[in-house]
Amino acid sequence: MTATSAEIDRLLDRLEQVVGQPNVRADAGALVTYATDATPLQRGRPDLVVLPANTEEVAAVLTLANDARVPVIPRGSGTNLSGGAVPLHGGIVLVLTRMNRLLEISESDLVAVCEPGVRTIELGEAAAAKGLLYPPDPGSQSTATIGGNVAECAGGLRALKYGVTRDYVLGVQAVLATGEVIHSGGRLVKDVAGYDLRRLLCGSEGTLAVMTELTLRLLPAPESSGTGMAYFSALGDAARAVSRVLASGVLPVTLEFLDRVCISAVEDFARIGLDTGAGALLIFGQDGDPHAVERDLGRIAQACEAEGATEVRIAGSPAEAATVLEARRAVLPSLSRLEPLTILEDATVPRSRIAEMVEHIQVLADRYGLKIGTFGHAGDGNLHPTAVLDPADEDAVRRAHRVFGEIFAKAIELEGSITGEHGVGIVKLPHLERQLGAAHVALLRRIKAAFDPNGILNPGKLGS
Amino acid sequence: MSGVFTPELLDRCISCGFCLPACPTYGLTGVEASSPRGRINLMRALETGVLPEDDPTVLEESSFCLGCRACEPVCPAGVRYGALLEEWRDHMWRRRRRPWRLKALLWAVDRPSRVRALGLPRRHAHATRRARGGPHLMLGCFERALYPEVSRSASRLAPELSVPSVQGCCGALHAHNGELERGNALARELGEALPGSIVTTAGGCAAHLAGVLGRERVRELSQWLADRGDAEPPGVSRSPRQRIGLQDSCHLRNGLGVYVEPRELLARVGDYVELPSAAVCCGAAGTYSILRPDDSARVLNRHLDEIADADLDVLAVLNPGCYRQLEQGVRRRRLRTRVMHLAEVLVGTTGAAPGP
Ligand SMILES: Cc1cc2nc3c(=O)[nH]c(=O)nc-3n(C[C@H](O)[C@H](O)[C@H](O)COP(=O)(O)OP(=O)(O)OC[C@H]3O[C@@H](n4cnc5c(N)ncnc54)[C@H](O)[C@@H]3O)c2cc1C
Ligand code: SF4
Ligand code: SF4
Repeated sequence: MTATSAEIDRLLDRLEQVVGQPNVRADAGALVTYATDATPLQRGRPDLVVLPANTEEVAAVLTLANDARVPVIPRGSGTNLSGGAVPLHGGIVLVLTRMNRLLEISESDLVAVCEPGVRTIELGEAAAAKGLLYPPDPGSQSTATIGGNVAECAGGLRALKYGVTRDYVLGVQAVLATGEVIHSGGRLVKDVAGYDLRRLLCGSEGTLAVMTELTLRLLPAPESSGTGMAYFSALGDAARAVSRVLASGVLPVTLEFLDRVCISAVEDFARIGLDTGAGALLIFGQDGDPHAVERDLGRIAQACEAEGATEVRIAGSPAEAATVLEARRAVLPSLSRLEPLTILEDATVPRSRIAEMVEHIQVLADRYGLKIGTFGHAGDGNLHPTAVLDPADEDAVRRAHRVFGEIFAKAIELEGSITGEHGVGIVKLPHLERQLGAAHVALLRRIKAAFDPNGILNPGKLGS
Repeated sequence: MSGVFTPELLDRCISCGFCLPACPTYGLTGVEASSPRGRINLMRALETGVLPEDDPTVLEESSFCLGCRACEPVCPAGVRYGALLEEWRDHMWRRRRRPWRLKALLWAVDRPSRVRALGLPRRHAHATRRARGGPHLMLGCFERALYPEVSRSASRLAPELSVPSVQGCCGALHAHNGELERGNALARELGEALPGSIVTTAGGCAAHLAGVLGRERVRELSQWLADRGDAEPPGVSRSPRQRIGLQDSCHLRNGLGVYVEPRELLARVGDYVELPSAAVCCGAAGTYSILRPDDSARVLNRHLDEIADADLDVLAVLNPGCYRQLEQGVRRRRLRTRVMHLAEVLVGTTGAAPGP
């Protein structure tokens, strides 16, 4: 489906009438800047960029596009890592960042109501100002939008204890490809009227409908938090420590790990005194009432020692805690400085298979002659194998594609997933059927067709 | 059109978008093309020939950018955006495309003799005759003409600094406005005229000089005073204590990472009030307020709102461009706040005190 330039010109006039002339861009320069998102090597070519201000404008844009059979690609801040906002078949990039009003934070109902363009951190801060917590905290929270979070079902560092974005979506207002506005769910904790469409829209990657208002669940904010770190000589020990922690009745808020490659990269770059001789670094954290936090951190430390941790430290001051968290935050910056191209994936395996998976990734990295560091969420098995390479080296790029194909296959073999939180997008679509099976993928297509009969929403991605 | 940018600089960006919320021009338009990531994508398109040199969006965005470098400290990949922008403007504004107002400005500061002429009718710090081994106080070009009290105050705060009479412009204006080579050459000339440590009262000059001569040789005044670590600067016994705010100098903060020192110094002489946008560009941005007055005013507005809300007695600045921008803005709004350079605040001058 690609539109002719005459069709685009006709659309342009009408779109300008809908959203106002400054909010439609058709200049070659602007189009270049909306051809990509944060995904390496994925590029499309949009015909138009439209920035609507409200639900009515979104509905009008979709109606026009649907009549003209022109693709529409919803976009938040363009931070996703699977090509979700890349206009693969041209069409209209529909940017939702102008719809950025935080409409309500209700202390009595424990909900927030907002437009999709609100940034995650803005919601988090507004909730915190009222003593509340919005738990999902993807690493990109300062930039990413709530709409993008819901559309990708973003996770974060607190997912082990608090769950992911889907666990906080109570209600969604969305515009269908054909222009009708629907509501699903709302402020109620209990509501079984109809299929659970709001859940279906979580992780729908802009392929089913455009979300224009979200009602999100909030929690009372925990009183305090604490953190610590443990070194292990081998990753297998760290993985066993994680199992021991969870078996001991403690559910930590954070359980992150870095492998050997990541530890060295962080230390080379950030110089925060990490032990580069270690095989793995585990970072743990807990929140809650101060006594429980102290007790739990102690138990986690014990579990680590029992599994042969070479060193365990609990942060005694905010400054020490900051250093611990810095080690985790610095991973991506440090890896990305090694080579111009950074490919970050998020294959996920059951917790008990983490060590096996990470070791296999290293074997593959050696076999294909690539540098891959793996870090991630040890508590929930969500791994981030990250390859760094030079994009000018075409052979290396080919090898990287093959390596990730093998990593996905291994994840499936271990009863894991090709993607835990970054989405299928363009990159993992070819691997999807291997994980889900043919019947499942066919059902996805029928669902997609029911929402979007002409296939205008984000074509070339899920459901295509 | 390859060869415009240093490949290593352009390759660095991983397109994560973390710079978007920090960028004032993205804040104004909300479109990707006026964000750091968007501009880097435009640069890449220019470099690979996807967009032609005279593409109107490329032209517009290379000039709409404030050059404030707020995108640098937030970038996880360490992209040196300021350096990329210098290369971009060097290419875009070459020859005939350079705005005429800019040509006149750059001409005025291109030779030490002209710079000196700028300062002649005014009374900047008394020059000591010859350049010895340093440390030296740099007089700046526009600062010595517009705000001669600044260097006089600095000289009183730091009498150990010599003030050589023959010193030119540091070249920051050139470098940021499409004359990168000349800008670097001027910095090197100044480095020769003022051997040893150079102390400057202008954050923008500090960052440019440090970039060319190396960080070890260059100190902005607040750094110098903090390093020297004296107990109490003069002028401390002002009562009642005044409410003092600060406007960071973009390049000082984002380029050199200096922002704690001025705050600590101000807190010693008054009640320091952190404005919400203290770290955000005020819109002066070197020559920006002259080249793009409307956009500059839009950027400034939010600062003026905050200054009014905070009901400041004094707003301290660290750069002559910010000085002019905020002074004019405050006057236009008829606010009671007085804009002063940090050095003037510390000395306790009113901006027109008699000489030492
Ligand atoms: C450095 C870095 C760290 C990251 N860390 C994490 C992490 O810890 N956890 C995690 O889960 N992800 C992480 N991400 C990935 C990314 O930030 C998330 O996927 C985020 O949710 C995307 O939000 P966005 O606003 O940028 O959406 P975009 O990238 O603009 O869009 C993402 C998808 O959502 C669709 N979409 C956007 N808005 C709407 C809407 N209103 N209605 C319907 N569809 C819509 C788009 O079509 C697209 O398919 C990270 C990314 C980077 C670059
Ligand atoms: S933060 Fe840095 S790496 Fe990320 S998009 Fe901006 S310039 Fe590029
Ligand atoms: S220098 Fe300032 S205005 Fe220019 S892109 Fe960076 S943050 Fe934006």
